[in-house]
Amino acid sequence: MRVFMSLLKLNLNLNFGISDLKYRFTKEKKKRWEPVLVVLGVIIGFVPLIVFYSIFLNGVFSVGLTLNQPELVLVIAFLSGQLVVFVFGIFYIMSTFYFSKDLNALIPLPLKPYQVLGSKMVVVMVNEYITLLPILLPSVIIFGTRTGQGFLYWIKALLLILASPVIPLVLDALLVLVLMRFINLRRSKDLLSVVVGLLGMFIGLGINFIVRRIPKGNEQEFLRNILTSQSGMIKLISQRFPPSLWATLGLSRQGLEGAGYLALFIVVSILLFLVLIWLGNKIFYKGVLSGQEIVRKKKAFSTEEANRKYGKFSTPVLAILRREWMLLLRTPVYFLNGLVGVIIGPFILVFMFFTGNQSSELDQLISVLQNESLSVYVTLGGLGLALFTAGMNVAASTAVSREGKTFWIAKMIPVPPKQQVMGKYINGFSVSEIGVLLTAILLAAFLKISIVKTLVIIILGTLGAMLLSVLNLLIDVLHPKLVWNNPTEAMKQNMNGLLGMLISMLVLFILAGITILMLIKGLSEWLIYIVLGAVMCIASIISFKGLFAVAERQYMKIEV
Amino acid sequence: MINIKGVSKSYNKSGIKAVDNLNFHVRPGEIFGFLGPNGAGKTTTIKMIVGLLNPDEGSITIKGFDNQKQPIEAKRNIGYVPDNPEVYDRITGIEYLNFLGDVYQVPPDIRKERIRYFLEMFDLTDAASDLIKSYSHGMKQKIIITGALLHDPALWVLDEPMVGLDPKSSHLLKELMRKHCEKGNTVFFSTHILEVAEKLCDRIGIIHKGKLIAIGTMEELRKGDNIESLENIFLELTEQ
Ligand SMILES: Nc1ncnc2c1ncn2[C@@H]1O[C@H](COP(=O)(O)OP(=O)(O)OP(=O)(O)O)[C@@H](O)[C@H]1O
Ligand SMILES: [Mg+2]
Repeated sequence: MRVFMSLLKLNLNLNFGISDLKYRFTKEKKKRWEPVLVVLGVIIGFVPLIVFYSIFLNGVFSVGLTLNQPELVLVIAFLSGQLVVFVFGIFYIMSTFYFSKDLNALIPLPLKPYQVLGSKMVVVMVNEYITLLPILLPSVIIFGTRTGQGFLYWIKALLLILASPVIPLVLDALLVLVLMRFINLRRSKDLLSVVVGLLGMFIGLGINFIVRRIPKGNEQEFLRNILTSQSGMIKLISQRFPPSLWATLGLSRQGLEGAGYLALFIVVSILLFLVLIWLGNKIFYKGVLSGQEIVRKKKAFSTEEANRKYGKFSTPVLAILRREWMLLLRTPVYFLNGLVGVIIGPFILVFMFFTGNQSSELDQLISVLQNESLSVYVTLGGLGLALFTAGMNVAASTAVSREGKTFWIAKMIPVPPKQQVMGKYINGFSVSEIGVLLTAILLAAFLKISIVKTLVIIILGTLGAMLLSVLNLLIDVLHPKLVWNNPTEAMKQNMNGLLGMLISMLVLFILAGITILMLIKGLSEWLIYIVLGAVMCIASIISFKGLFAVAERQYMKIEV
Repeated sequence: MINIKGVSKSYNKSGIKAVDNLNFHVRPGEIFGFLGPNGAGKTTTIKMIVGLLNPDEGSITIKGFDNQKQPIEAKRNIGYVPDNPEVYDRITGIEYLNFLGDVYQVPPDIRKERIRYFLEMFDLTDAASDLIKSYSHGMKQKIIITGALLHDPALWVLDEPMVGLDPKSSHLLKELMRKHCEKGNTVFFSTHILEVAEKLCDRIGIIHKGKLIAIGTMEELRKGDNIESLENIFLELTEQ
């Protein structure tokens, strides 16, 4: 147990960079404001979301009350929370269990596989609380205060929240363990992680599709329906996944019944965890070890091939651009989050806005939107969506961070930082541009937008994507996260990605503000487009100057 | 070739100096061995020479170029091999070398010839089209060495280059170093292997607790006393 605790402490320390923070605050005495600023930024970004969510939940509670089922709000929260953990957990567990570099250091130590596995599992769990708390807490608080619960309720709530990630994560972990052990994945580990990631995205799309089926305007009616009808969605899902129901009943029922459900939930969690530990002890290392091999071509290349390969010659910027693309395409995490996201994103957006089960309504909407007098709004709205996809992309906002321990190469090569960030910029921009083009084309197809207006969306979208990519890259150049052990940390657990999205949103808000002003002033349609284009161009040029200046300074200043 | 003037460096503002007021030259045509106990400041000095770290005080010039004020010119003249080989995992050896060939603007013909030569020499021809991820420690080291020498820089800076190399490769590397210097170029390297330093180096510097405590040819270090081995000198000097 002592060994396990110290291993766990080490893992948590690494995960949250505690020693690094301590060092920064006590020894280095510089840049102390940075972590503080990041936390503030996140809070400012997420508070509105949580407020909206809470208002929604409050409505759900009221509906539940009229149906004499006030615990509806709890079912929804626990179910969606555990579902989210389950879906995103698969990929997360796979990367921490099998792809992190520290495993090579841990395996030779006199540790039992279950100790390593257990400590990694707990770290994943602790991370999931960050996702779960905003989902669960509002509903628990709404239910608790509006039904006037006593002290015991809050104790039970605490226990349930603490235990809530266990069941979905253990299920994920068991799945992953068995997959990695019994299927021969040596050759296709990268492929597998791409497939799993894609699966996650499709599940996301599916959920989206279901949510879309909720008719607009009469949500209350809809909720009432699904709750009362025999095949109600929530009922159906909670039957398939009873733990959410146990958690709900454990919280909402009084006395012994409540305690019983609570106990059931916790005991099942513990039992599942033990099963994982037991199984992990048997097969975890085997899976890890078989996964270490990398496919090697056996043959040496032919002279002809060699001639072709040595013979190419290009400029430094192009060489850097090519390197960026190779690494982006070949590292599964980068590929999924950088590229696949920007391809699937537009589809999700279009589905979200334009699918429903009443196709007649949709047709009506489309014919209304085709009205000439509305076309300016459609074009501007489309532009907004295109830029939204571009802005959500993290290829640019993690471009320097992704170099990690290889950043010394960037410092050694005689290529001015300006040119190096230019290579990265072209890479990040082209990824965003894919999103812009896809969104524009999909929208044009769905809403039957004219070719001229589609071109307007594409041209303005391109200018906007240029601007957003510079700003995103600028964020990463200012403060790259170069210390990481597995690529997930560089891309998904990187604050710069989040900051980049926030900045993109801010820019979109400002552009929207300018546009609304111009619409109110009654400027002509084409003048509005021209002004928007000009604003984005000028802002891009200024930001480029800033980016280059910052890059020159930062590449010199960053020590490795 | 290298001119170090009053260079100091500490890692955190309050901390002790990892390198303390270094002053020395390394001349063209010279193999310079840099010795010192663990934590003496060798890697720190080397990283400042190549521009990975910025000195707190003092200046360093490479072939007359101040590496802070004219970094690009200085870098063109340096081939650097770090003490631990970290390279892009997911590109192949040949892709890595071509990348470097492009960023250093090595003309295609020359590039082709040099890559062939080094790959053949280091026995890497077969592995060159595999991802670097699949390389052993020594193979990574050799691909980095190849990359560092591809543009035929006048100054080689190698941080413990023999570590992890098999006897044949390390022999070949020593030959390369000697040939390079015979052409009037310079090699600056750190090592813990005193025999190598003794046999290979024209001059030796010993650093201890951030300070340069001895510098000169073997003769000069012996101070005329012919019997003393470098090991004895080293142990004596770094005693306290
Ligand atoms: N990144 C760092 N942060 C803080 N201190 C450091 C860092 N790197 C080195 N040091 C300190 O600087 C001093 C010199 O370290 P350096 O790596 O230059 O030694 P070295 O001579 O190369 O040793 P070795 O023979 O072990 O490679 C040591 O006291 C070390 O603790
Ligand atoms: Mg060292």
